[in-house]
Amino acid sequence: MPEFTLRAFADQLVNGLVIGNIYALIAIGLALIFGVANLINFAHGSVYMIGAYVGWVCVTGLGWSLGPTFIVVAVVCGVLGVLIERFGLRRLQSEARIAPLLATIGISFALDQLVQLIFSPNPQSFPSPLPATRVMLGGVSIGALDALIAAITITIAAALFAFLRFTRLGWALRATAQDREAAQQMGVDVNAINALAFAVASVLGGIGGVMIGMYFTSVYPTMSYGAMVKGFAANLLGGLGSVPGAVIGGLLLGLIETFGVALFGSTYRNLFTFVILIGVLVLRPTGLFGAQRAMPPEPLTGTFVANSKPVRIPWFVAIGGLVAAALLPFISSNPYLLQIFTNAWLFAMLALSITLVTGTAGQMSLGQAGFLAIGGYASALLAMRLGWPLELSLLAGAAIAAALGTLLMWPVFRLRNQYVALATLGIGEVINQIILNWEGLTNGVLGLSNIPPLSLFGLPIVETAPIYWFALAMLVVAALFQWRLTQSHLGRTWRAMREDEVAARAFGVSLHRYKALAFIAGGLIAGLSGAFTAHMYSYINNETFAATTSILGLTMVILGGMGNMSGAVVGAIALTALPELFRPLADARYLLYGVVLLLLVRFRPQGLLGTV
Amino acid sequence: MNDLLALPTMPTAQATPQASSSALLRLEGIQTFYGALQVHFGLNLHVCRGEIVCLLGGNASGKSTTMKVILGLVKPRAGRVLFDGQPITGLPTPQIIRRGIGSVPESRRIFPEMTVRENLLMGAYTRADREEVRRDYEQMLERFPRLRQRLNQRAGVLSGGEQQMLAMARALMGRPKLICMDEPTMGLSPLFVDRVLDLIQHINQQGVTVFMVEQNANLALQIADRGYVLQNGHIVLEGAARDLLGSPEVRDAYLGGDAR
Ligand SMILES: Nc1ncnc2c1ncn2[C@@H]1O[C@H](COP(=O)(O)OP(=O)(O)OP(=O)(O)O)[C@@H](O)[C@H]1O
Ligand SMILES: [Mg+2]
Repeated sequence: MPEFTLRAFADQLVNGLVIGNIYALIAIGLALIFGVANLINFAHGSVYMIGAYVGWVCVTGLGWSLGPTFIVVAVVCGVLGVLIERFGLRRLQSEARIAPLLATIGISFALDQLVQLIFSPNPQSFPSPLPATRVMLGGVSIGALDALIAAITITIAAALFAFLRFTRLGWALRATAQDREAAQQMGVDVNAINALAFAVASVLGGIGGVMIGMYFTSVYPTMSYGAMVKGFAANLLGGLGSVPGAVIGGLLLGLIETFGVALFGSTYRNLFTFVILIGVLVLRPTGLFGAQRAMPPEPLTGTFVANSKPVRIPWFVAIGGLVAAALLPFISSNPYLLQIFTNAWLFAMLALSITLVTGTAGQMSLGQAGFLAIGGYASALLAMRLGWPLELSLLAGAAIAAALGTLLMWPVFRLRNQYVALATLGIGEVINQIILNWEGLTNGVLGLSNIPPLSLFGLPIVETAPIYWFALAMLVVAALFQWRLTQSHLGRTWRAMREDEVAARAFGVSLHRYKALAFIAGGLIAGLSGAFTAHMYSYINNETFAATTSILGLTMVILGGMGNMSGAVVGAIALTALPELFRPLADARYLLYGVVLLLLVRFRPQGLLGTV
Repeated sequence: MNDLLALPTMPTAQATPQASSSALLRLEGIQTFYGALQVHFGLNLHVCRGEIVCLLGGNASGKSTTMKVILGLVKPRAGRVLFDGQPITGLPTPQIIRRGIGSVPESRRIFPEMTVRENLLMGAYTRADREEVRRDYEQMLERFPRLRQRLNQRAGVLSGGEQQMLAMARALMGRPKLICMDEPTMGLSPLFVDRVLDLIQHINQQGVTVFMVEQNANLALQIADRGYVLQNGHIVLEGAARDLLGSPEVRDAYLGGDAR
C-alpha cells in the first residue's frame, strides 16, 4: 500500500472532487428524469458519450475554442434528449415502468453502435485546449481544467437550483415530479415537462461528457455505460430523484473512487461503484440522506409481461424442427454455418434461463451473464487445476454457477421492478469485477487460456459437427428440464408470484425461497452454457461474458415472448444467426439489437410467439 | 337571427335562464370503462351557472370517475362533456383547466415537497396576469390566515384540515368559473367540516359555480341547490336539494349502493 503524505492526500482530494463534480452533473440529469418520469434512463450515458464526441469534433477536429464548443454540445444533446423522450418513450408512459426502461436500453445500444460505426470503436485522443499550467493553492496543485470543471459544475448547479426554486416552469417541474395527476389539474402540460426534464438532463450529461473527455484526454464509445451506472450510483447514494442528493452523491462517489484507486489500484475503480450501488439499494434504498423521501412506489404486480395468447407450437412442428436441427451437419458441411448455430444453441440456453427468471418468475434480470461467467470459470478451473474430466467439470460448473450466482443475487429478492433490473445489472457487473481483480484465481485481464477442449468419455471433441451436436443435446436436455419445472406446482407458484407478489405472500408463499429456486434453475442452465463456451473457445477472459450479453439474451427473450420457451429458442436463433447470414448487418449488430428491442417494446411487447 | 328572437332587453347576460340550456357544465350519455369494467352507463347531468350541485353516492359508485371524466383524466368511451357550451370531451387536461375549471382532487393531492406559497402559486399556473395573481394571493391569505403563518413550510407537514384549505385556495387561485371538488370533507373533524361547507357557500356567493362529490349527503344537501344520486353508474335520483334532504330514497340509494 503506498504511503500517504499530506500532499498526496490533498492531490487525491482535488482529483476526487473534480471527478465527483462530473458524476454529480450526470447524476443530476438522471435525478431529474427519474423524478419527473419515474424512469431509470439507461440512454443517459449514451447522450453523455455523444456530448463527449461532439466536443471532441469541435475542439480537435474543427479547432474551436471551448465557449462555442459547449454551446454546440448543449444544443445537440438537448435536442437528442427531447427526441428520445418524444419518439422513444412518450407512448410507453402508461405501460409498466419496465417497458420504457427496456426502451432506453435499446436506444442506448443503437446510439453507442452508431457512434462506433461513425468514429470506430477505438478511443480518440482528446487533449484539453487549456494551458497545462497548474497553480499551487495552499499546498494543493490545481490545473486550469480542474478549475474550469469546478466552475462550470457549480454554475450549472446554482442555475438549476434557482430555476427549480424561483421560476414558474421550475415549480411545474417539481410539481410534476411530486404528483403528476395533480400537476395536470393545475394546468401543467406534463408531457412538455417530461421533454423539458430530458432536455435539461441531456444538456448536463453532454457537458459532463466533454469535460470528462478532456480530463482523461480520450473519448470512446463504451464510456457511455460506465457513466450511466456511476451517475445512478451517485444518485442512489444521495436519494433517488433528489437533485441536491445527486450533487452530494456525485462528490462522494468521486472521492470514494479516487481514494480507493489510490489505495488498491486502478482495476478496482468500477468495483466500488457497483458495491455502493447494490449496498445502497439493499440496505438503504432511500439513500444516505433521503430520510423523508420514500422510494417511489412501484406497482406490486409482476414485470412487463403483456397479456397475450401464446402461439401453440404443435408437437410435430417441434419434433420436425429438432430433427432438422440434428440433421443440419449432414445437409450443410459449411463449418461456419455450424458454428453460428452452435452459438445459437448456447445463446438459447441463456435465453431459456432468462425467460424462466424474468418471464415465468417475474424477476427482471439484467445480470444473467454473471451465471455464464461463473459456470465458464468454474468448469475451466476445475479441469485445468484439478484435472477433472470434462463431463464432471461441466456439471460442477453449472452447479457452482447456480449456487454461487443465486447467493450473490440474494440481495435482489427484496426489491421490485426497476430496482430488480438495476440491482441484477449491478450484481452481474460485480461478478465481472471480481473476475477481473481476483488475479490469483482467474488470471485477471489476461484471462484463462489453454482450457482443455470438450470431450466425452475421454474422447476429445474438436470437430465442428460433434461440437454442434453436443451443444444441441445440452439445449434439448435443458429445455426438457425447464419444461418439467414450469408445468409443475413450482411453475404455477412462480407465475402466481409474478402476477401479484402481495397476493402470493398472502397465500403463504415464501417469496425469497421461490425467487431463489428460479435463479437456481436458471443458473444451472446458464452455467452449463457458460461452461461449454469456455471449453469450446479454450480461452476466456472477463469480457467473454460482458454485461451486454445479458441484455442481448433479454432481447432474445422479448423477441420470442416472455416466459415462452420456444420463443426463447426462436429469439436466440434470430438474433444470433441473422446478423451473420446478412453480412452487412454483422458490423452493426448492436444497432440491430437496440432497434429490435425498441420496436418490440413499443409495438409488440408480447413478442413473436406470445407470452406465457 | 338575433332580431327574430329578440326578447325585451334585460340587463343580465343570460336573458332567459331556461335551466338546462344555459348550463355551464353538461354531461350527455357518458359511458366510461376501466378495461372491461364499466363505470358509467349513459350518465346525464348538468350544472347551471351560479349553482352548487352535489353528486351523491356510495363507495365505488363512480363519483370520482365522473370528476375525472370532466377533467379529462379519463376519456369516456361514449357521450360528451360540454363546458360553457363547447365540447371538451377528449381534450387534454391542461386545456380543460385553462377554459376555467378548477379542481380540488380527492384526498387533496397538494404538492407535499413544495412550500405552501409555491402550492398556492401553482394554482395560478395557467394565468399570465401577474399583478392580478398577486392580488388574489394576498386575498387568499386574508381568507385563510392559517396558511399565512405557514407560507414557507413544506405543505406535506400541514394537518389534514389545513391541507384541505390549501387545496381549495390553490384551486381558487386559478380564478375558475367552475370548481370541482371531490369529497372536500373527507376525514375532517366536525369543526373543519362546517368551515369547509361555509367556505364553499362563500365561494359560490362570489360567483363561482360549484360541482361537488360527497358521501355525506345530509351535510352536502344543506348547502347545495340541487343534487344527483349515483348508484352503480346510473343516476337513480335527482332534484332540488331540499327535496332530497332527508328523503327516504336517498337513504335507500346509499344502502343499495353499499349492499352491492
Ligand atoms: N384507475 C382505475 N383502474 C381500474 N378501475 C378503477 C380505477 N379507478 C376506479 N376504478 C374502479 O371504478 C369504480 C368506480 O370508482 P370511483 O373511484 O369512481 O368510485 P367513487 O364513487 O369515487 O368511490 P369512493 O366513494 O370510494 O371514492 C370502482 O369499482 C373502482 O374500483
Ligand atoms: Mg371517490
